[in-house]
Amino acid sequence: MVMMMQKIWAMMWKDARVRFSSRSELLFFLVLPLLFTVILGGAQFGGDGDNRIPVLVVNEDSGEMADELLALLTASKTVRPELVAAAEAETRFGDNEHAALLRIPAGFGERVAAGEPAEPAVLDLTQAPNNTNAIAAQQAIQAAVGSLGQAAAAAQSSVMVAEEKRPFTTPTERAAYFAEGLALAQTAVAEAPQRIAVTQPEAATGGFDGAAHQAVGQLLTWVLIPLLGTSGYLAFERAQGTLRRLLVTPTHTATYLLGTVASQLGLGLVQMTILVLFGVYVLRVNWGHSVAGLALMLFLFGLAAVAFGVMLGAFTKTESQANSLSIMMGMALALLGGAWIPLEVFPQGMQTAVHILPTTWAMRGLSDIVLRGQGVADVLLEGSVLLGFALLFFTIGVWRFRYE
Amino acid sequence: MAEPILTVKDLRKRFGDFEAVQGVSFCMVRGEIFSLLGPNGAGKTTAISMLSTLLRPSSGKVVVNGRSLLTDPQAAKQAIGVVPQEIALYDALSARQNLHFWGRMYGMGGGALKERVEEVLTQVDLRDRADDRVGSYSGGMKRRINIAAGLLHKPQLLFMDEPTVGIDPQSRRRILDMVLELRDQGMTVLYTTHYMEEAEELSDRVGIMDHGKLIALGTQKELTRLVGQQETLRLHFGEGQLMNGEAALFEGVDGVLQVTTLADELVLGVTETTAVLPDVVAIANAHNLRIRSVDIAEPNLEAVFLHLTGRALRD
Repeated sequence: MVMMMQKIWAMMWKDARVRFSSRSELLFFLVLPLLFTVILGGAQFGGDGDNRIPVLVVNEDSGEMADELLALLTASKTVRPELVAAAEAETRFGDNEHAALLRIPAGFGERVAAGEPAEPAVLDLTQAPNNTNAIAAQQAIQAAVGSLGQAAAAAQSSVMVAEEKRPFTTPTERAAYFAEGLALAQTAVAEAPQRIAVTQPEAATGGFDGAAHQAVGQLLTWVLIPLLGTSGYLAFERAQGTLRRLLVTPTHTATYLLGTVASQLGLGLVQMTILVLFGVYVLRVNWGHSVAGLALMLFLFGLAAVAFGVMLGAFTKTESQANSLSIMMGMALALLGGAWIPLEVFPQGMQTAVHILPTTWAMRGLSDIVLRGQGVADVLLEGSVLLGFALLFFTIGVWRFRYE
Repeated sequence: MAEPILTVKDLRKRFGDFEAVQGVSFCMVRGEIFSLLGPNGAGKTTAISMLSTLLRPSSGKVVVNGRSLLTDPQAAKQAIGVVPQEIALYDALSARQNLHFWGRMYGMGGGALKERVEEVLTQVDLRDRADDRVGSYSGGMKRRINIAAGLLHKPQLLFMDEPTVGIDPQSRRRILDMVLELRDQGMTVLYTTHYMEEAEELSDRVGIMDHGKLIALGTQKELTRLVGQQETLRLHFGEGQLMNGEAALFEGVDGVLQVTTLADELVLGVTETTAVLPDVVAIANAHNLRIRSVDIAEPNLEAVFLHLTGRALRD
């Protein structure tokens, strides 16, 4: 047993030296994963931390109602209004950096206040084409307008009821009554009791944390590809003749495979640890609160991925074939497993079908830990499935193992 | 007779319908160099792959140092060292790192391994370049480290599979000297080659393989006796001169025992070269066959192979 451990340790040392003999390996091991996490994670690092959808707003109405609308949008959790002049808005919207351009036309406030006038109050919203952010911005603006209209309608009703009892002597008196009613209605709307009780785990971030999702997804992608590349390493050893030489030493095939798995998994765990620590301490990304749960999921994901690589290695002939296949399969598995975009946007049938992939379970378990604030007990199912995948892949890989 | 360190009985290997090794049997005694000689594809590498546990024989028995290779391969492996035909090293590691790694795979470690690595580095004369990456070595240097890796655990029986393929004459000479030194130190060496000269220089005994069979086995004297006093006369002609049937022109010449056509050469097995040569040259001239050069060889392993198979070793 001691001898076997010494051999496994020697293989781990050798594999690490061979892998990092080329400095370009660091590019794939650390530089690119970090770069993609920073870029795709919303670049919280060094920014103001505001991930709301930016919306350009041109306000052609100088009235209080338009200001009220802007205040509601500013308080929104979805959009971040940016007040600009009309000319500037056209130019900047053309740069494709904003999902939507909202124009508040002159007289908007008056028409809202009038209730249902002959010419209704209509906002002018221009959306970037085929942009999901634009759809989300539209919904947020509709909610704000609805809230504003609801208060205005209440104030308008109160003016009509008051007029029936005692007509106003002057328009000014009528306007003042409306303004007072509007303020009361807005307060009432704002203070209305919540009709939905939102409950989330204590550790959850609330809402959807895109940066955390991207950090998990990018880690999964950039660790998965080199672990599948174990197949390429096996092909390399076959081509070099070192595998044949190794198998004529008093070293069991099982020891060799365990050594290879241990070395590749070990490097994967080091890579994952660095990415998580960088995320936590530099990018300020939330990685959840269960260190044990996170470690368990990362370990089991790594194990399943390296076992997949061993299986792949049994079916590929050359190193270049294995490497190409690893990259293609790694990217496909990451995408279909929900590492790049949340699975919720997939059609229902697809969401069910992708459960045959280990990445789906890894992403599900890691999301439970990171995005939903859960712990070890909550990811036992996902962990067990990943362990099952690892055993299945490894068994096939050993069964079909060949030295040339 | 000395104690056998390797006993091979009726060794066979089939790949589907093709039988690559067909009932090979031989013994090796301690301290001898035994060469398996044969052309490419003769089955030498398949045989050595089975003897080194890399391939499982279809049938047959192999006993190494008293241990059956089939039932106790791990114990047998401790007694065997293998120098494969390819350079089976990690280019990204230095020679010293490579040797440390391979030593550990043989269960060595600590100070003993460190000391042994220095010993073999000295033995292959590469101590001064030991910390350079193997990838930066010349072909000959790589071959020497390839051999060193097979010597680390001081094997009693060393398998060397064509260790001089593709290297310059100087490096080849160095490797052949090294093999002789190993024999002098008491190591038993099974050496496969398709170079007749190497087998002749190194071997105490030679086994000749062709088409998966061991067709002859013995010392060089015993083998050359098979062809009697036959000498070999090799006639080189200009390109395209040999069409069809030229061999028949020489078959009736007094003293010519055998004629074989090889590309632009005729290889004649003759009783006495000096007596036959004038007649041969006269016939060539009479038929407008321009002889470019003539090689004369005493009875040798090439003649034995030619005698046994009707083909040259390098066919």
